[in-house]
Order: sequence, then structure tokens, then C-alpha cells
Amino acid sequence: MSKPSPLLILDHVSKEFVSGAGAGLVAVLRDVSLSMLPGESAAIVGPSGSGKSTLLNLIGTLDRPTRGRVRLDGEDLERMDDTRLAWVRNRKIGFVFQSHHLLPQCSVLENVLVPTLATDAPRDDSDPAARARRLLERVRLSDRLSHRPGQLSGGERQRVAVVRALINQPGLLLADEPTGALDRASAENLAQLLVELNREEKVALIVVTHSMRLANRMSRVFELADGVLTEPAASKQGGL
Amino acid sequence: MTSWTLALRGLVFYARSHLGALLGAAVGSAVLVGALVVGDSVRGSLREMALARLGKVDVALASNDRLFRQELARELGASLKGLVAPVLQLPGTATTGNADSRANQVQVLGVDERFWKLAKEAPGFSEIAPGSVVLNEQLAARLEAKPGDSLVFRVRKPTALSQDAPLSPSEDTLAALRLTVQEVVSDSRFGRFSLHASQLPPLNAYLSLATLSSRVGATNRANLLLAGGTTDGDATLSVGAAEEALKQSWQLSDGELRLIGVPDGKGAELRTARVFIDPPVAKAAFEGNPRAQGILTYFVNELRIGDRVTPYSMVTAAGAPWVPADLGGDEIVVSRWLAEDLNARVGDSITLRYYVVGLRRKLEERESVFRVRSVLPDSEGVDAGLMPDFPGLTDAENCRDWDTGFPIDLDRIREKDNAYWETYKGTPKAFISLAAGKRLWGNRFGELTAIRFPDRAADATFAGELQRSIEPASLGLRFEPIREMALAASSESQDFGQLFLGFSFFLIVAALMLMGLLFRFGIEQRRGEIGTLLALGFQPRQVRSLLLREGILIATVGGAIGVLGGVLYARAMLMGLATVWKGAVGTTSLSYHAGGATLVTGALAGVVVATLTIWMALRTQGRQPTHQLLSETAPEGTVDTGWSKQRTDLISRLCLIVAAGLVVVKGKPEGAAGAETFFLAGSLLLIGGIAQCASFLSSLGGTDHAAKLALVHLAVRNATRRRQRSLATIGLLACGSFLIMSIGVFRLDSRVEQGDRSSGTGGFALIGESTHPVVQDLNSEAGREWYGIEPDLVAGVEAVPLRVLEGEDASCLNLNRAQKPRLLGVQPELLQKRGAFTFAQVMEGLSSTNQWALLNSEVGPDEVAGIGDQASIQWALGRKVGDALAFTDEQGREFKVRIVASVANSILQGNLLIAEDRFVERFPSTSGYRMFLIDAPNGKVEAVSKTLSQRLQDAGLEIEPTVRRLSAFNAVQNTYLGTFQILGGLGLLLGSVGLGVVVLRNVLERKGELALLLAVGFRRDALGWCVLSEHLALLVMGLGVGTVSALIAVLPTLLTPGAQPPYGSLFVTLVTVLLSGVVWTWGATKLALRGRLLNALRNE
Repeated sequence: MSKPSPLLILDHVSKEFVSGAGAGLVAVLRDVSLSMLPGESAAIVGPSGSGKSTLLNLIGTLDRPTRGRVRLDGEDLERMDDTRLAWVRNRKIGFVFQSHHLLPQCSVLENVLVPTLATDAPRDDSDPAARARRLLERVRLSDRLSHRPGQLSGGERQRVAVVRALINQPGLLLADEPTGALDRASAENLAQLLVELNREEKVALIVVTHSMRLANRMSRVFELADGVLTEPAASKQGGL
Repeated sequence: MTSWTLALRGLVFYARSHLGALLGAAVGSAVLVGALVVGDSVRGSLREMALARLGKVDVALASNDRLFRQELARELGASLKGLVAPVLQLPGTATTGNADSRANQVQVLGVDERFWKLAKEAPGFSEIAPGSVVLNEQLAARLEAKPGDSLVFRVRKPTALSQDAPLSPSEDTLAALRLTVQEVVSDSRFGRFSLHASQLPPLNAYLSLATLSSRVGATNRANLLLAGGTTDGDATLSVGAAEEALKQSWQLSDGELRLIGVPDGKGAELRTARVFIDPPVAKAAFEGNPRAQGILTYFVNELRIGDRVTPYSMVTAAGAPWVPADLGGDEIVVSRWLAEDLNARVGDSITLRYYVVGLRRKLEERESVFRVRSVLPDSEGVDAGLMPDFPGLTDAENCRDWDTGFPIDLDRIREKDNAYWETYKGTPKAFISLAAGKRLWGNRFGELTAIRFPDRAADATFAGELQRSIEPASLGLRFEPIREMALAASSESQDFGQLFLGFSFFLIVAALMLMGLLFRFGIEQRRGEIGTLLALGFQPRQVRSLLLREGILIATVGGAIGVLGGVLYARAMLMGLATVWKGAVGTTSLSYHAGGATLVTGALAGVVVATLTIWMALRTQGRQPTHQLLSETAPEGTVDTGWSKQRTDLISRLCLIVAAGLVVVKGKPEGAAGAETFFLAGSLLLIGGIAQCASFLSSLGGTDHAAKLALVHLAVRNATRRRQRSLATIGLLACGSFLIMSIGVFRLDSRVEQGDRSSGTGGFALIGESTHPVVQDLNSEAGREWYGIEPDLVAGVEAVPLRVLEGEDASCLNLNRAQKPRLLGVQPELLQKRGAFTFAQVMEGLSSTNQWALLNSEVGPDEVAGIGDQASIQWALGRKVGDALAFTDEQGREFKVRIVASVANSILQGNLLIAEDRFVERFPSTSGYRMFLIDAPNGKVEAVSKTLSQRLQDAGLEIEPTVRRLSAFNAVQNTYLGTFQILGGLGLLLGSVGLGVVVLRNVLERKGELALLLAVGFRRDALGWCVLSEHLALLVMGLGVGTVSALIAVLPTLLTPGAQPPYGSLFVTLVTVLLSGVVWTWGATKLALRGRLLNALRNE
């Protein structure tokens, strides 16, 4: 049986920032390479300031690398203009932020449907609202459809954020410290949810986290330290 | 879920933060709507006034001095099946019984019940009793008269013969009437009746038509016909229909023509009470009657052969049969009586001496020599009917009763002359050829005194033929579409909507900028939401579009609220126009009118400009990196830099150098060119000053000053954090204060040096206008003697007289668009030799050095050169130099006045001037002079004014200093500028509110930082001082740059001797803005720093 093509490839990616203090360039990521297969799950762990969020931003097209290439679903992100990148963010990637970033003025259902307004390109499903309801039911929020974020608990908000990230059936789900603002029980529930959805929706999952409990639930774990990404041998399953 | 749903959600959720932006949009929209409604109100008020003054009148026929039968009104009414009222309209003066109060330029109207039926509302009386007078409110107020009071009116008697005509009597031209006030009528009851459009009401006195016509010797005659039917909207009676009816109904006597039988049945004769037959009448009479014979009979001072003289006789110029058909131009046929008196024989030379009347009734005695061709066999056979009906002669019993208008030396009249008169009256004593007579005595009134038709009878058939061959319009009997002209004048009036939009411009800009600022602040607080949307795949333009939709909704709601606010704003502006800004409109009668279309247009315009402003505020949204937007705190070092310091330095230096160069090169500012240069220099200083502030802020943002760190330095350096925001505040305050202060440079100065010919007074000390024509020459000894003016009281005084053809005031004091401006006739050389007034513009192709002589230019067929004041031409008439205006002369011929030049800012505003000889050619019946520009020696002006006013009291002469007249005109523009400054000041105040908002925003963004300062030991009041000084620095910089630049811009005005810049109001405006800025800044600082600042540290 032939191996499937990687969904995501980072090829010797580096990211440097200009220091405002006049100290020249600061290297946040150094020569990072990784690849992810469709449906795979991975965690990126590392100390604060190691560049985890920067790496996630590069993968999620929210930033561009200083050197190296990022390929998603066979396409080189470097060659894309801003319009194409926005489309990729909308259709191919789902984001879950630490602080949910739900729109306070919209209801739960409306928040989930916001990504569907970004582009008029043809969709795989003809009724995003039905999909939204189904997913919200899946995450046990079917009775909260008309509630505003201010009326939900922290865990409920994160679940809405997860559903929002999945509404356009992306191939890749990125979660930046998704449980960082939750209590232990809610964090555990959310972690379980992510794992289940990774399997059910067949969406590749990359989680940036401080929590080893969450990290160990992923099929692969990467460590990022001093800008260098490594994968302990025990977690290797495919890739380059 | 749609994008509009998302926008609506955002609008509702963030309603509190949008409230400020909503208010800004509402204010901007309100001012816009309000300005347009002011325009509607002025137009509507003028239309109301027009309809009130005309009532149901659609068309009018005004024949002035030519009187027609009152019965003509009834005949036309029957023909048109409408209401036609005859009126006798005469100029007059009015005084109270004890002469305490006086009113000149009174319109005295003899009316009957038909007149009142044309009013919008019927008056409370059915008729005006003989001996009574009804006043309009304005005249009653002027005279402080009420029903029962006694008044004396002096009314000009209409004369068939112009007072300028030869042999026109000079006595007894006024009729004095003592009348009791019966009632005072309001505007809606025809109190405001006038044929001319003006928002200034006339002074009207109404008498019974029968009473007035009999008292002025015009029994059963009228000179004005009013015809109409409805009170509302457009006319129902057309000029065409009225003129068609007139053609069918008029009779020869309506044109003051008379067809009489020649004695001994020898045919018919056409003559006129006006003595000289109008040329169009003569032309029509000859065209239809080849055998018609023209006759011209004249009064000569003497006929002389050697030392034998026959004084004061009639001589007739005619053809056969009175003279041989081949009579030469230098030959004369004398009567037996004359031959005997002069001992004349055939072949002798007879010298005729006679007067001709020049301008200003200047008598010029001329003489002509003729050779006796033959002597008539019988004096008694000479046709006694050849003398026309000379008023002052015809009814005289003897020679000593003559009133010829010429000086008569009674000592020369012999007994035999008297006996001749008693026997033969004015039977001519000699005859010359018609061609010779026309050459000697033809004048602007006509060349014939009678036309005889030997083969026709003076019957109704021939009268009808003659009547049909003559165009009534050629006799001045023509209808004008009065209602149409009135409505056009009001609808084409000065657009106050646009004017107030201009005045309110800065207020609208300030409101919109405040709205944009507040909206942007609100959006900046939602950076996380923007980052989320970008992360979810929205493009920056999509995000801006979503936010713009919120903005459109805000603008729409603001626009709707603005409609209500606009109504209030308009009412406030109208109140201002009726009170403190009354100088701009001269009336308190402006009322509120607002069309639905105007409200909708204004609201839509408000929505559009608000939306555009929000769009501009959103331009930079979504451009920041998404991950920065998503981070919880603002990233380090996000000081917006805008242009580099090098660029702003360059701009600043360039502007300052050029400005300095302009000032140095120009030197002392003089005149208009100097003012423009300094205004340019001031503007450059403004730009340079703002650029210098930008440089200053840039330099503060650098790290070089770290070693000098103190609280005050910290305060000022904080202004560099949001440099664009700080600069916007400085720019708004600087531009606003510059605009408001420097606009004063355009104020018109009325204080001029007496005798300065180049000024708006033309160097004249006084300007006078009379109600009745002054026919004598005020500059001549004879003229002054006539009016009883003592020579020593008017030594050194010289007047330039002007003829006046009434029309509409085309000055800035008349809001209506003048359809037929007042025409003045002047001798160009009288102004040319004085070099009076400054010319603003001369028509292309004409020499600018000729100035007043341009009035003699040949401009085209049926065209006359005219000169007017530039402001009148441009604003009141809506024309420019080179354009032409159509007029109709006394004989119904259309001609054009071509504007060949304009004078700058002068007392001639409101009028168009043409050369006097062209004037009398077109309007021969307009007697005398009614306007005077008077030179008077320094120190004697007041005394001269008093003397002339008293001596010419009966003529209703009103005199005022030319400076005062100029001030009244200048007051209009100066009032407009004052309005701009006040409304602009309001805009600046709004700008200072914006400063308060900026303070709040800046502090909220830095709460954590301020909390840190508290934590490390700074006191709260020190922090307050830090924030306050940071923003007060912006306020001071903005106002300082604007004020200094403005001072440079207005330097020429400040240095002009006698200049009266409005220091008071400007100082008050600036101080108010400064105080407002301080108050808002202090208040915002207090608000922002209240509460537990340290909590912000925990959130960090």
C-alpha cells in the first residue's frame, strides 16, 4: 500500500525578527522541518518564548517565514498572494485560539457560521447551517444556539471555537494553547473532544500546548527549544 | 447569516461606543440639512412676499406719465372675463401735520374697489372716503401715524408734456393733499403692493381713485392697469391674451391722442396733449395716409428785421398749402400782421431767435435767418388751429399769464402783442418749410405738433383706422408678466442654502472629523475581532467592508436624526438672520419653509459624507499583521510614524523660506494685490508650521532625549506615541483658527479718505435721491436761485446729476434676482474728468484707460453701453462684463444694455449706468434728475447736506453721506463673513471636544503604563498633570500656529489706516476655543484617571 502524500511540509523554515532595541536580528525559528500526513495529530511543546506560536502562525499563513518553504496540500504558500492565502485560511485551515476570540455580538450559531461569509467559492456542502447545527450537537451545545458568548462558560466557548474552526471542513486544524484558559475538568473535556474530532472529521491536528497530558494524546510530539524543532524518536510515525 | 446581519449585530452590540460617532454624524447631517432648509426658507419667504405684494395680479400695464381712460379697465375686464383694476400711481412725499415726521419715496395709489378685489385678503373697508388715506404698515410706522391722524402728501402731477420738453411749464408740478388716515392695511391686504421685487417693503398710501385723479388734474384717467385672477402659483392670465384684448379695446385718447375736425370742414387733424407727436404714431399715420400733412408749430422769442422786433410769436413749419410747395429751407412766408409790424417786404432777411432746451433744462438761445418769400394776403385767413395745446399757453387769457417754461421779459410785450393774442391767440405769424422746422426744433419728444388729413373726416371710422394702425406698445401701453417676473426673481434669488453651507463648512468638517475619530477609536478597540476575522479567512477589504456596513448604518441613523436637528438649526439660523445678522438681508420677514425634497436631499447628503468619512477612517484597518491583532496587548513600539522627519523638515523649511521671501519682497502691503500676497504667505506659514510641529514630534520620539527625562519631558514625549493622532489634532485646531481669523481679510472697509476718487465713494461726499424730478441745474446760478439755495452755503459744491428709470434694486440688499434693474443716465465726462471710482473689469476689446468714456462706445445694433458695480453684476444680476440685459424703451422697442465695464465695491451698487444722451433717446418722457453725487468741501459736508435737504424738501430729496451708503452695502458682505466666523468658531469648539476624546482614548490605551507609574510612586495628581500638559501642548501648538499664520495673512488689513478688524469677536472666539479645549482636556483627564488604576497592572 503506498504512503499518502503529506498534507503539510515545512522545509528548513527559519523566522527572524528585527530587534527594536537595535540589537540586530533575533532568530525565533531555526531551520525547522516537519511533515504531517492527512488525519495525523501532533503536539508542539516547549518553554515560553521558544517560538511555538510563531511556528503555528507560519503554518496557519498568519505570517511568512524568513527562509524556507511551507507547503500545504501540495501548494507552496510562498507563491501565494494575500487573496489566495486568505482563501487557504478559510477553507483549508481551522484555527482555535487560547482565548476563543468569539464575536461577542453574535450568537453561538452565528459565530460558527461567520467563516462561511468570507468567500463565495463553491462549497462541498450546500447547507452550512445544517452542518453547524450537527457539529454543535456533537459538542453538546445544541441547546445554546441562540446564546451569546457572554452567557457561556469558558469550556463552552472553546467548544464553539472548535466547531467554528471545523465549519468549512478544513484539512488542518491548528490549536494554540486551546486549554490554557480552562480549568482542569474543562481542559480534559476539550482535549478529549479534539482527539475525537480529529478522528471523526479526519482533520489533521496540530496543538501547541504546555500540557504534557494533552500532548501525549497526540500521535506525535515535537519539542521546540531555542528555535530548533526536534521529535523524540518515540513519537515518530511517518514524515521526512 | 449574512454580512449585513453581522454588521447589524456589531452596531447593536457596540452601540454605546458608536454613540459618539452617531452624534457626530447627526450634527454633520443637521448642519447640512439646516443650511439647505435656510435656502428653502429664504426662497419660500421671497415667494410669499412676491405673492403678497401682487395678490391676484398676473399682468400689469404701467404707462407712467401717459394717462389713459379709467374706462379702459372695464372694457378689458369684459373682454378678458377677469378682474382688471385701474390705478393712478404717482410718487409722493408724506409728512405729519406738524411736520415732525417725514417720508420720501412714497408710492401714492389712487384705487377703487376693483383694486382691493385683487388682494389676497379683502380689507375691512369697502371704499376710501374722499379726504382720507389708507396707509400700509411700513408707512404708518415711519410716520408713527394711526387712524384719525392728519397727514400732508405732496404728489407729482402727471403731465402730458415732459418737464424737460420745450415749452413745458415749470410751475405748479406738485399737488398738496391734506388727508386723514382712515386705516392701516397689512401685507396680505395689499399693504405690500409694488411692481418691483424687493424684500424691503414699499411705503404705500392709498386714496380713492376719483379723489386723487381730480386733485392732480387727471379726472377719469389712470396710468396703471392690474389684471389677474388667482392668488396661488402660476399666472392664469397671459400677456398675449391681455395685449390682444388691449388692441381691441384701446382708443386714441388712451394714448393721449386726439382726432379733431379742421375748421371749415377741411379734413381731420391728429394732435396730442403731449404737444409733440410720438415718432411711431407719425410713422403709422403717414404710412396709411399718403396725403397726410405734418405740422410743427414753435414759440420763438423774436422775429427781427434790423431794429424792428416782433416778440414772442408762433411760427409754423409745414408744407403746402400753407407755404408754396417749393419753399426753400432758408425762406419764410409772413402774415400781413407781421409784415406790417416789421415793415417787411419780399426779399428781406428776418432773424428768428428761439430757445432750445438742452440737458438739465439748459436753455440755449439760437437764431436762424430766413428770407421773406411772400406775404400772406390776410392775417385773419391764417389757420388759428395750427398752435398745439401748449400747457401754460393755451388757456392764458393774456400774454402776462403765459407759463412757457422759458424766461419771458414782460416788458417786451407791447399792447399790440396782447391785442393780437386776445384776438388770434396763438395763430402763427410766419411759416417756414417743414424740413427747416424739423432741423431747428425737432427734439427727442417728436418732430411734429399735428398731422392733418385733408381728405378724411374726424369720425369714428377714421379714428378706428388710425387706432388699428398704431401699436399700443409704441405708446408705452404694454402689459408685463408681473407674476412670472416676481416668481422668477424669488426663485433665482441669492442661494442662501449654498451660502450657509459655505458658512457652516468648518462646522460640518469638525463634526465629521469627530465622528470619524470616534468611530475609529471604537474599531481600534475591536482589534481582536478584526484579527479573528482575518484568521478565519476574511481579506482585509472584506473586514473593512463589514465595518463600513456598520458605519453606513450609523450614518443612516445619524442622517435621520440630523433631519430633526437640521430643522432646529435652520430655525436658529433664521432667527439669527432676523436679529444679529439682519444686515445681510435687511428684513425680519423671513419665515421657515422646508420642502420634503430638501430634507431628503440633505439627509442623503449627510449620510453620504458621513459614510465617506468613515470609509476614510477605515482605510488602514486590517493592514496590521493578523497575529499582532490577535495578541492581547498592543505590541511594543507601535508608534505610528507617518512621514519621516527629513520630509517634514524639508516641507517646513521650504514653506517658511518662501513665506519670508514673499513678505520681504512685497514690503509694506498695499491694496488688493498686497493682501493676496500676505494671505498666501500666511497660508504657507500654516502648512510650514504644521510640518514643523510634525518634525518636533518626530524629534521628541527619538531616544536622544533619554538623559533629560523629567515628568514634563515624559508628558510631551507621550504626544509622539500616536503622532498621526496628535498631528491631526494640531492640524484641525490650526486650520480652524487660521480660517476664522484670516477670513477677516475679506471684510470690506467703508472708512475712506474724503475725496479719494479711487474709493467706493468715488470721492463724493454725499449721495442724494429725490422723489420728484429736479429739472433745474443745481450747479447753475439760475438753478440754485430757483430752489432758493443761498450761494454762500453751497460754495465749492458740485453735483453730478443722474436720470433714473425705476426698476429693481440690483444691489446685495435685494435678495431677489433683479429682472429689470434700475437704469441711471449720466454724462460720462462728468465722472471721467473726476476719475471717479476704481474699475474692476473692462470688456475685452475695449481700452481700460477710457473708463467712463466707455459709455459712449458703439457696442452693436440696438445696444447701449452700460457700466455697473461688480458685485451687482455678478451677484444680483447673475451676469458678467460682456453680457447684455434686455430692456424695452418708451416706444415699445426692445434694446439691450451691454455691460462694458464694472466698478469695484461702490455706492453705485443696485444700478446700471448708461450715457445720458442714450437714456433720453430711449426714455424721452423721463423728466429731470432724481439722483445726485455731490462733491462738498471738507468741513462743510453736514451743512451742505442740511441746506440741500431743506431747499429741495418739496422734491423729496434725501441725502446721506456716501460712506454710510457704502457701509450699508459692505455690511452685507461683512455680515456674511461674521456669520462664517461665528459658525466656524462653533466648529472649532467641536474640535476642542475632539481633543477631549483624544485625551480619553490616549489614556485608556496607556492605563497599564499609568498604573505602573502609580505603582512606582508617582502621585495621581502628577499623572493628571502629565496627561493634561501633553494635550494642552497640542492645543497650544494648534492654536498658536493657526493664529500666527493668520496674523501674517491679515497684516495688510491691520496696517490699513482706519481699519476696523473685529478684534473683539476674534479674541472672544479664540479665548472660548482655548478655554473649551482646556475644560474638555481637564475633564477627560479626570474621567480617564478615576477608579483603581492599579487593577490594570493585574490585567497585564
